[in-house]
Amino acid sequence: MTIVPQLIVNSLFAGSVYALMAMSFTLIFGATKFFNFVHGSFTVIGGYAVFYLVERLAWPIYIAIILSIIVAGGVGFILDKTVNLPLRKKKSTNTVKLVASLGLFIVIQAFVAILFTSQFQTLSNTIEQKIYQIGSAVFTQTQAVMFVSAIVVFFGIMLLLKFTLFGKAVNALSDDEEVAKIVGINTDKIISYVFFIGAAISGWVGILVAYDTGIEPTMGLGALLKGIIAAVVGGMGSVPGAFLGAFLLGFAENFGIWKINGEWKDAIAFGLLIIFLLFRPQGIIKK
Amino acid sequence: MPAYLIHLAILFSIYAILALSLNLIFGYTGLMSLAHAAFFGIGAYTVAILTTRYNFNFLSATLAGIIAAIILAALIGFVLSKFKGDYYTLGSLGFNFIIFATMLNLQNLTNGPLGIPGIPRPNFFGLDSSIDFNFLLLSTCCLLLVYLICRFIVNSSFGRALKAIREDEQALEIFGYNVRNFKFLVFVISAGLAAIAGSLFACFITYIDPTTFGSNESVFLWSIIILGGLANLRGSLLGALFLILLPEALRFVGFPENVAAQMRQLVYGLLLVILMMYRPQGLMGEYKL
Repeated sequence: MTIVPQLIVNSLFAGSVYALMAMSFTLIFGATKFFNFVHGSFTVIGGYAVFYLVERLAWPIYIAIILSIIVAGGVGFILDKTVNLPLRKKKSTNTVKLVASLGLFIVIQAFVAILFTSQFQTLSNTIEQKIYQIGSAVFTQTQAVMFVSAIVVFFGIMLLLKFTLFGKAVNALSDDEEVAKIVGINTDKIISYVFFIGAAISGWVGILVAYDTGIEPTMGLGALLKGIIAAVVGGMGSVPGAFLGAFLLGFAENFGIWKINGEWKDAIAFGLLIIFLLFRPQGIIKK
Repeated sequence: MPAYLIHLAILFSIYAILALSLNLIFGYTGLMSLAHAAFFGIGAYTVAILTTRYNFNFLSATLAGIIAAIILAALIGFVLSKFKGDYYTLGSLGFNFIIFATMLNLQNLTNGPLGIPGIPRPNFFGLDSSIDFNFLLLSTCCLLLVYLICRFIVNSSFGRALKAIREDEQALEIFGYNVRNFKFLVFVISAGLAAIAGSLFACFITYIDPTTFGSNESVFLWSIIILGGLANLRGSLLGALFLILLPEALRFVGFPENVAAQMRQLVYGLLLVILMMYRPQGLMGEYKL
């Protein structure tokens, strides 16, 4: 039974990562209404940007992190303007946008692999990795940052959506794009900014994962899928839902592998997705 | 015929079979499944395990592979049939992921990431296919068989019903067609055909490992049929030809080995994006996404 506190801690940290991915994914989904698989690429970009700046160029850590987040967000912004915008203007179906996003994901993954090789890389410990302990549960400083940032981002997004003019525009846009345009909201501009924010959060996940375990070009897909599962389970389009769904997923996975062999963690995640899609497709919190 | 061209021709026939079978469910029926690489892998692994460990011969191993793929497709197809639209794609991606994880983790059966080496080349009609040219004959015959099967399906009333399902499922249900059965049946057939490709692949390369059958491969198959044109069998052949040859052409540009493999991915990813932006019906497509 002494393993339970450690399981709880592991669940919280897994949930934090999934929450960050899920919230950013669902935010973008609310605005653009299609499954955007390129979201996983921003994780890769964030992780590799910080790797490049810190390991290859020896920049100071905190500046590198901030710059990497901006780079990830920037790439998201640019991709929206160059690929999604023309597709929106052409009134393409969601399927077309999904396929295009898959293509982009593959392109970025291959590009990163060409530049940095496909090998798994780790960031050397240029930050003091403190280890904390609560009872019988142990966790690293990076994991604590994961948890705190998930909560901060959650409240940040909720406050943004509720109290700023920008946030209200995003809500309006998510509700009905046509009417939002009629009312005079520059939907294309708002969508680009939402992309920036979502991509930046996704990039931040990449940085966290880089310091927690390490990076490889294929890391985007795993993180993305878990984020999507969490977002679907929580209710697509709902940020609180994504937050809840992510922690539900984290707990289900980590307590699941208590009894089942650890290799089946991903199968548990997909099992959860399928159960929800079969019995409660609108998710926990209906948008 | 130079060995290199024979090699390419065999790869072409394998991927053409995959493209044709995927087109049946994607292009004709509208089932956008990212799980196709999993059935490719099931066929390959079944044949690999049966021929290396239990001394099955090629034909019976391939049949076993087809049956394994069909059984799995029945289960997966049943669950997937409950999902609509983008969630279908998501669910299929999930299943591909699960099967990939199974290949990686059931090490007693599949040897995990180390893969299964030493798969024997089949011996059929007295022809020893360790000579590549003979294997090319085998794979071309299989391709021809699969093409004829697909053409038969597509030109039949069953095929017409599939196209109708793609266009308006509800209308078909109102007319009294059992749409679920149609989708189920074509999904299962498509998986069985993919297993044939898997068997050929395993015997040709004589070594398989899980990485060939992940989601990247499923997306690659999507790009073949989208480029060639959805709901067009000859388009699938064209798409396969193009996407097998193009990376080979890149090889001659002189990239180092590691980069060349990634360039292939880069190219077909880029191709998907460009196709979506400028020509969603592909080269010969009857159906625009």
